[in-house]
Amino acid sequence: MTADLGRDLTISRIIKAPRAIVWEAWTDPKLMEEWWCPVPWRAEVQAFDLRPGGAFDTLMRGPDGEENPHPGSFLDVVPMERIVFTTALTEGWRPAAPWLAMTAIITMKDHPDGTDYSAVVKHADRETRDRHEALGFYDGWGAVLEQFAAIVEKRA
Amino acid sequence: MDNYQPALNDVFHALADPTRRAVLRQLTRGPASVTALAKPFDMALPSFMKHIAVLEESDLISSRKIGRVRTCALTPRKLARAERWLAEQRILWEDRTDRLANFAESRASKETKI
Repeated sequence: MTADLGRDLTISRIIKAPRAIVWEAWTDPKLMEEWWCPVPWRAEVQAFDLRPGGAFDTLMRGPDGEENPHPGSFLDVVPMERIVFTTALTEGWRPAAPWLAMTAIITMKDHPDGTDYSAVVKHADRETRDRHEALGFYDGWGAVLEQFAAIVEKRA
Repeated sequence: MDNYQPALNDVFHALADPTRRAVLRQLTRGPASVTALAKPFDMALPSFMKHIAVLEESDLISSRKIGRVRTCALTPRKLARAERWLAEQRILWEDRTDRLANFAESRASKETKI
């Protein structure tokens, strides 16, 4: 699997928990709601049909009534090993035009200290990204971090 | 593209650590001294300075010393728009993965106690 540095992200962690627990945290929607979103935003898992073509819809609710829906679907599921999902297709592989098209490849492997976890997040081409930019999603680095600062403070 | 990629690598490396992300968040509220930035962390100053150095090398922040006080500030203009966009997604996924790890680890420790 090749990662394109300009538009892909690879995030990995050794999680000090057995793979079964990490898998459960990921695949039980009630548990996922606990960690998917940063406080005080809340995640609502509205559909979680864990099979290729099954719906995976999340809604992020902000502290001031903001709602960010993220409809998507699963592309590949290997129990305890791998989950691939995308926002570019919704349930039953119906093409979608989300504000942020992405595919995430989640893998879990046994590790002496627990679980070797990684997420590869792939984004669409530059034109898509530029279009998002034109839509005004980009208030800039400072503003984004400002939001995070606000979030962290509220949690403290 | 050739000179863009190493810079992006530095930015991602800088963002991959929770302490460094916390420092960046703090700096969004304005410049601050290294001493003030280090305060929330249970960390020896030399270790904390290493984090500051990584952030400086990535051009996310700059610092200058006046007298005995070193003050840090964000350098938002250093990030090209493309980098900023991906950095934003990076922060989202790094934080999300940290929350998953914490959540799974606390569940694992509860299970072993029972």
